[in-house]
Amino acid sequence: MEYIGLYPVWYEPGLGSGWIVGLIATVHVLFSHTAVGAALFFAYLATVAYRRNQPELLDFIKRYGLFLLVFSYVLGSITGPGIWYSTTVASPRGISALIHSFVWKWATEWVFFVIEVVGVYMIIYLVGKVDRATHLRISVIFALASYGTMLIIIGILSFMMWPGKPEWFTEGGYLNGFYGANTFAQLALRTAFMFTMTAVVGGIVAGAIKDPAFKREITRKLALLGMASTVIGGLLFQWYMATLPETAEVIAQNRLPEWFSLSLVVALSVIFAWFAATWVRPGFLTPAIASIMTLVVLVFGLWPEETARESLRKPYVAGQYVYSNQVIARDVPGLGIHSEIPVLERQGFQQSQVFVPQGLKTVTAGNAAEVGHSLALTTCSNCHSLSDTGMRPLAGYFGGNRDVAAIQVYLQGALGTGNTLYMPHIPLNDAEAFALASFIAGMNRISPLHPEPRRVAVNATATAPVTQSQE
Amino acid sequence: METAMLYALRDPAGVPSHPVIFLVLGVLTWALHIAAVHVMLGASTLTLFGAFKQDAHWRRLAAAMLNTAKVAVSVAIVLGVAPLLFVQVIYDPFWYTSNVLSARWVIAFIVLLIGGYLALYAFYYRNPDMQAKPTRGAWHLVLSIGLMLVVGWIMHVLSVQMLLPEQWMQWYAPEGHIDPSGQQLHAYHAARFAFFILLSEAVTGLWLLGYRRYLMGREGEDPAYIAWLKPMALNLALAGGVLALAAGAVWMLSLPEKMVWFATSAWMGAALVALLAAVAFPRLLGKRLDAGRWGYVPFALGAVALIVVAAAREALRFVTLLAAHGYDALDYKLNWDGYSTVLFFVTFAVLGGVVLGYLLTVAWKAGQTQGVYVPSPGLTRLGQLAVLLLVVWIVQYFAVGFYVWAR
Repeated sequence: MEYIGLYPVWYEPGLGSGWIVGLIATVHVLFSHTAVGAALFFAYLATVAYRRNQPELLDFIKRYGLFLLVFSYVLGSITGPGIWYSTTVASPRGISALIHSFVWKWATEWVFFVIEVVGVYMIIYLVGKVDRATHLRISVIFALASYGTMLIIIGILSFMMWPGKPEWFTEGGYLNGFYGANTFAQLALRTAFMFTMTAVVGGIVAGAIKDPAFKREITRKLALLGMASTVIGGLLFQWYMATLPETAEVIAQNRLPEWFSLSLVVALSVIFAWFAATWVRPGFLTPAIASIMTLVVLVFGLWPEETARESLRKPYVAGQYVYSNQVIARDVPGLGIHSEIPVLERQGFQQSQVFVPQGLKTVTAGNAAEVGHSLALTTCSNCHSLSDTGMRPLAGYFGGNRDVAAIQVYLQGALGTGNTLYMPHIPLNDAEAFALASFIAGMNRISPLHPEPRRVAVNATATAPVTQSQE
Repeated sequence: METAMLYALRDPAGVPSHPVIFLVLGVLTWALHIAAVHVMLGASTLTLFGAFKQDAHWRRLAAAMLNTAKVAVSVAIVLGVAPLLFVQVIYDPFWYTSNVLSARWVIAFIVLLIGGYLALYAFYYRNPDMQAKPTRGAWHLVLSIGLMLVVGWIMHVLSVQMLLPEQWMQWYAPEGHIDPSGQQLHAYHAARFAFFILLSEAVTGLWLLGYRRYLMGREGEDPAYIAWLKPMALNLALAGGVLALAAGAVWMLSLPEKMVWFATSAWMGAALVALLAAVAFPRLLGKRLDAGRWGYVPFALGAVALIVVAAAREALRFVTLLAAHGYDALDYKLNWDGYSTVLFFVTFAVLGGVVLGYLLTVAWKAGQTQGVYVPSPGLTRLGQLAVLLLVVWIVQYFAVGFYVWAR
């Protein structure tokens, strides 16, 4: 018997594991991008402060830096590894694929992180305690190291969508996986929007400045930064979209909600208008309103963007070879990776997996729905909630259908052939297709008030017809 | 769990350098991480003690340790990223399974760590000047320490669970029914946890000796405060060492059967000797502790002892998984990638060494100087080199990237 390396499944019925990853990742983007943008902005402010002898700008650096110590270097530094932790439990083979191809890149990023953490304390606490040239040099070091972290993570994020060069599949190699058109388009896009976030979040600090003249100066600097970066980011978004794989384009046209593009345009317009208003009337800027705008960026800008990025790479989760359901979908000769689809076609899911209890290895009359539950956990639950809530509830795709045979035909026709765009190839044999169909049919009887899948699934066995066993 | 199953869980992409490199880096970076954790726990606890004292020395120590704890959490988190990375590279079947089986706690780890860190900051913001003003909101600090211990416990459980593959199926599918909730912490070893936590007292004692030596180099410092610190530091180091070794002895006596070999192994012996040497060394130094730079040596020796402990901990994992389960972490499939390997080591050793060397030297000297510190021409040149290296690194990123893209 040949095993495939699928891990146990963590299923969270309320939100779904995918959304938990998404939530952590989205807030981390806000914290981290703000930090990188602020580091570059600080270097600019320090340069201006020392050249024009404006020590009050250093005071702003200190204030904003102290704010960022909590905002970015507490919340951001924990949610960063938090993404690893959450993907480890929600998509272990997805994160593993990235770790094993890019471990040295992440280790290199870690060097920059260490410099960044030392740098942020020094840039804040050494104002006035070291000479100007030294403080400015520390600001520059902090800025360059921060941007270094951005440079590195971008390549890994791009790989998640699409390996940089097609040669990666045949030749392997970190460089082929890391660098490509999408890498640079995404870098440019994120560089622009990180300044937008820096300007929005900086408003929370600037809004509290008491001196009107100084508040006007800082607010206008932030507003200019924000307006320019919002417009440039909006334009760069077109470049970014042009570098996506063809499948992503089709998915974008067919799968993203109609309001997606509109929401992005509206969010960018509102943010631009906000910056324009604060440039004209700096008095508008208060910590409370800036905090609300930060939430607007988070909810209407970052969340749709991050969820769209997740959708566009479907049915894969990493490198166009690991399916969202963790199955290796294709050969990657460059790394000696073999598709697991043939093994699944030959042996079935239950016989091939490590973490299947003995009693569920073979489909019988008595266990069909419970095997179906096991199959749903493995093949579906990464993207489809098995309850009424959370990410794309599975039951919603079957319209309350309780006809096991009809569901089985659909599963084997639409998914078993691998011909459905956006969905992974799920080669279910007759017995397993029946088991999964039995579970889904049982799930369609779930009361919204009692969305407990396993109990319902077991009940479903009572009406399930006898079927052939796997062997 | 059959050996073939464990190997099936490995990532098919392999690793880009020989696995032993990741194993060694994992040991070294875990030692650095745990040292920061120890300092953070010890400094927080000393702050809590000082928060309820009126004595001026205690108040000053509490203020200093609060700042230390604040920075130490940052350092512990950032240093913890590296061993977290390396454990996934060669022990992925074990680490990922252990995490998934307790997934809710893994997510809780993130939330609780944020809570603990924010509680520490909340205490700091309510007590910006502990030396001069009475303590406010001490419960924040109690909460912070409590949450830090809970997140430590979660990491402990994940580390123990990964060593028990024979129990994984029972945890995942009790009585043959799959439970994907990940809501249980399945296995722990209280004595092992106590050993690593109690060690923080000893490490903090050695840290205080270094802190004391640092103050001795500062102009206009209070000799009475410096003298007051000495017995406390020495006693903490010794008492912490004794308590940790006692917990360690209980751990060794209660090892599961497949790990019993470890109690009498050379690894355990080396760790024992290193720890004893580290806690006894400051007392052996006698008056020399106050001479030259000897005051810093105990903490350095403590760091070396932690590396030996980390190596022993790794040996326990490596040998147990090999001997009891047939999993050899060093026979991971190799997909050699020269560029990324070399780039990391150059970045780490050259760029990291120069930049951090510059930053830490400036921070150190600025802290010891009254008024504005102006670095020497030599140190300034090091700073210029640091900037240059960062610029060169970024230029090579784009140069190589554009070449690959256009190829």
